[in-house]
Amino acid sequence: MARHSPVTGRYVTIEVDGMEYKVFYLHNGKGQPLICQHTAGCHNHQWRGLLEDEEITKHYNVIAYDLPRHGKSDPPHNHEWWTEEYKLTKEHYVNFIVALCDALELDDPIFMGSSFGGNVALQLALRRPDRFKAVIPVEAAHYAPGFFLDWWRHPHANAAQVCASGVWDLMAPQSPEMDRWLTWHYYTQGSEAFKGDLYFYSVDHDLREELRNIDGKKCPVVMMTGTYDYLTPPDATEDTARQIKYGVYIEMTDIGHFPMSENYPLFRVYLKEALRIIRERTGG
Amino acid sequence: MAQDIKSWANKFKSLSDSDPAIASMGKYYTCTYLWDMTDRKVIIEMHDGKVKHINTDPQPLDPYDFALRASAASWREFGQPVPRPMFHGIWAASFREDLKIEGNHLIMMQNLRNFTLQFELLRKCGVPV
Repeated sequence: MARHSPVTGRYVTIEVDGMEYKVFYLHNGKGQPLICQHTAGCHNHQWRGLLEDEEITKHYNVIAYDLPRHGKSDPPHNHEWWTEEYKLTKEHYVNFIVALCDALELDDPIFMGSSFGGNVALQLALRRPDRFKAVIPVEAAHYAPGFFLDWWRHPHANAAQVCASGVWDLMAPQSPEMDRWLTWHYYTQGSEAFKGDLYFYSVDHDLREELRNIDGKKCPVVMMTGTYDYLTPPDATEDTARQIKYGVYIEMTDIGHFPMSENYPLFRVYLKEALRIIRERTGG
Repeated sequence: MAQDIKSWANKFKSLSDSDPAIASMGKYYTCTYLWDMTDRKVIIEMHDGKVKHINTDPQPLDPYDFALRASAASWREFGQPVPRPMFHGIWAASFREDLKIEGNHLIMMQNLRNFTLQFELLRKCGVPV
């Protein structure tokens, strides 16, 4: 008897700013759409625990996609992408997510992303509060300089290992060893895109002047950060949430920058609380 | 009371040389680095994944490729079985605490996987400061 997972994968082709992308996504569940973005230089297996969470997928349609150039989502097929240095911009990132939600006909989805996915969640709350029921920025801040580094694709070093071991201690030492090594493994697979993703994370994403324009009443913002995150430490996220009208901050103890991937059983405790707050604020 | 430097070096070598994760990609892990713990310094020479020599009394002109420098207090935090946040790794402590990375960064990056694992062995053997 085959031991199939309830999670299934599909491709959908969309056009964003003239780029044609064949996007791979995993999904499982019914009900309220909950669309999930992986971290920079990674792919959707980071959400493997959530995708198979029977309690949550009973009420939430969980969708975890690979951003183009990551996992099974190719770079654009109608563009000579190899002739340009990849640098993800906030406009393109936001346009991509909205186009994907439109293509999948997601009604009032909740968007959740971690790290550079958390930062784009803030961009969505600012730019498209009409399109999302709520956002859950995980390990995010309104400004996160310092990680757009040449080391991520230095030709004299093993970029796969530099990326994977460079983010190793973004995880908490208490997180299960197997899950930390799986996260390390995913990071060996995305080194070519990592630096370009971090252009958005550390350079193009800067909401210092615009944070006050996010209205948590129009689009609830529930932020969560782990205590072992050195890149976006808890006080950075708390400072961001405090400056958002009706912003919420949840501190996650004994977990790091990849909570859904490094220790899902602990992360889900906090995620359930975030979803409860969103239900309370949106009436369902 | 800090542990004796020689017995610390023996313990560290034994842990590193028997670590299966380091051994699994040990080939070519060859470099020499300094750990400056303020009150103590050690130079560790690696060859193909094994500890070739630990210099427990480095002199001014003894060579190394790169160095980690921090206060003795920080090293004691690195050596806890479960370090506190921001003392739980090279990157964390260099971004948020007083750890400085000096010398040839490229050699550290070329060997980052195993060097990171060795740094975390301090959680098992403690530190000599």
